[in-house]
Amino acid sequence: MKVDIRLMGKLTVFFTIFAFVAVLPLLPASAAAENVVKVGNIIPLSGPSASVGQQGKQAREMAVAEINAAGGIKSLGGAKLQMIYADSESKPEKGVAEAERLINTEKVNVLTGCWNSAVTYPTTAVAERYGIPFIVPVSVADKITEQGFKTVFRIAAKDSWWTRDQFAFLKDMEKEFNAPVKKLAFVYENGDWGKGFAEQWKALAKKGGYKVVLDEPYPSTSTDLSPVVQKIRRVKPDVLMLVSNAADAILLTNTLAEYKVKLKAVIASGGGHADPSFLKATGKNARYLFDIVEWETDVNKPGAKEANAKYKAKYGYNLAGEAVDAYLAMYVLKDALERAGSLDPAKIIKALAATNLTSGPGMIVGYDAVEFGKDGQNKHASLVMVQINDLGKGLERITVWPKSARRSGYTPVFPMPNK
Amino acid sequence: MQMRASFAKWRSLHLTFNRDADMNFILEGTINGILMGSIYGLTALGLTVIFGVLKVINFAHGSLIMVSMYVAYWAIIFTGVHPYIALIIVVPVMYFFGYYLQDIIIKPIFKAEKDIREPITVIIVTTGVWYILDNLTLLIFGPQYRSIQNNPLRGKMLEFGDMLISVPKLWGFVTAVITAFAIYWFLQKTRTGRAIRATSLDREAASLMGINQFKIYNIAFGIGTAVVGISAVTLVPFYNIFPSVGVLFDIKGFIIVVLGGLGSIGGAILGGIIIGLIESIAPMFMTATWAEAIVYALFLVVLFVKPSGLFGVKYDW
Repeated sequence: MKVDIRLMGKLTVFFTIFAFVAVLPLLPASAAAENVVKVGNIIPLSGPSASVGQQGKQAREMAVAEINAAGGIKSLGGAKLQMIYADSESKPEKGVAEAERLINTEKVNVLTGCWNSAVTYPTTAVAERYGIPFIVPVSVADKITEQGFKTVFRIAAKDSWWTRDQFAFLKDMEKEFNAPVKKLAFVYENGDWGKGFAEQWKALAKKGGYKVVLDEPYPSTSTDLSPVVQKIRRVKPDVLMLVSNAADAILLTNTLAEYKVKLKAVIASGGGHADPSFLKATGKNARYLFDIVEWETDVNKPGAKEANAKYKAKYGYNLAGEAVDAYLAMYVLKDALERAGSLDPAKIIKALAATNLTSGPGMIVGYDAVEFGKDGQNKHASLVMVQINDLGKGLERITVWPKSARRSGYTPVFPMPNK
Repeated sequence: MQMRASFAKWRSLHLTFNRDADMNFILEGTINGILMGSIYGLTALGLTVIFGVLKVINFAHGSLIMVSMYVAYWAIIFTGVHPYIALIIVVPVMYFFGYYLQDIIIKPIFKAEKDIREPITVIIVTTGVWYILDNLTLLIFGPQYRSIQNNPLRGKMLEFGDMLISVPKLWGFVTAVITAFAIYWFLQKTRTGRAIRATSLDREAASLMGINQFKIYNIAFGIGTAVVGISAVTLVPFYNIFPSVGVLFDIKGFIIVVLGGLGSIGGAILGGIIIGLIESIAPMFMTATWAEAIVYALFLVVLFVKPSGLFGVKYDW
């Protein structure tokens, strides 16, 4: 008896799915009839990344409200964007299940998400299987756009571009200030993150013709970093490149100043150097340091200041890189939908692939255009370099690179003057 | 002759300069190692004092360092005094903190296990205290990294030509040596000190001689915690203060006291200096990551060869 019930249960599920799949092609017109575009968003709304997921949600809401208020998608008869959120809890299996649900039950036209690379990676495979376009505002793992998928479009820069941009920035600075740099020192925390960066730095230094004079992984739990600073002093590098967590970033910056190490520039990699308490705990010792970030509130782009002010008034804090990517993603989608003029997934995908967005309310990022390569990666995406300096109002992070995004009226300090 | 001359010439061209520079760095590293190491020793001293008497490994040691650093931080911020004058506030506050921590939280469990020489439950209780203190601090003060920007010791360096020596670390070294001698003198010469030693040697016999062993435990815990307070004052002028700062120092503290001999006062300072020297000199020949591995390797070797520690005795005080 027991067995029979189980079998029947299985059969029921099987037939339900079968019926579902069989009927599916018969009803594509029904969604369009309601005159909405259903956008499914899989983001972490609870769990360890909930805070960043919330920001992504808020930025999407803000953009969608603007788009709908401005008349929706005109080529679709003023269709409104309808947002459907699903919580991934930062769990890959949850992301996959939610993607299935959004596609089959909610019948979404487009998917976006998922912030956590570990969730985005398997979830994009679901979208690819159903042929539903998937916009990835930001998930940094390189492999997401290296699966040969036709439906995946990533807006933000990928992991390996962080180091690429640090070197591109250095080359640009050398040219702009006519101050050649030869010797590099790499000092990084000895975990996955630091070692991954150092691997790429070494390859880039070789390609760029630099000499690496120090390659020093150190434990982030160090209570004394003067031995490391002594080593830096001893090899006399032109530029010091760092990957640090918070406590060690503070300790290194202060110890470098104590030992009066002379450097042309210090280039950090976010993390500890971007920690809110870093500037307070290092004070003027952090002056002139360069750091890489996804976005900074002072980027010199039309609309950036206004968008940030609006966001801050609404949600109480500044836009962050992740939020800006999500905000832009909605405008990229709107642009593609306008050109597609249809809710046929294949047509939306084709329109997304032909994207060349250079202006509009969404373009408040540091780079100048959104244009997807064959792999679906935004070719123009880049990161932003900031310099820590005091312009009379205390230490602040000032955008300096790319040059088109540089805060107007600011000239970066390079090489660093002797303190 | 000719060969020798050319060798001398070659040496003068290539070696001398580098060797002088290297010697300079090695000397600088050695001094830094001794200074920083003595501060490590001082942070471990409180641990060794408490262990010597209670025979309890105090896992809340790192949290006591953290609490002391916050006490010192706020004392200095509110009064604006020289960091070392904050000792007047920090030492008594931490003494009573330790005294009552032992009296209220640890003593009842101690009494329940009084027939056992090395009470295991007490160790678990100290672990609980560690978690509670760290998380309370996180709740009250948040995860921020704090440092005292405007203090007369911050970033000060003594310069001897190319060689730089950190002034706040030098103060720490002097403090460590004075503290170690003071504790030693106290235990050897004062009546309370003798009572502490007697309790440490044999609880039962000491009780029979009219010593209130639980009072002595309170005092010993108080003294150990006060020493932790002193070490925190040496750290705040140049180090960051954050809720999990204790963890960085207590792992080191455990290695140091085992290296130097559990319960040995001189051993704690010397053990600290050994760790400091390895950390400071080894990175000249390898990466800092390997230098840390050497510290742990040495720790294991000492445990194998001389389990009582380098300066420990087979018996207690």
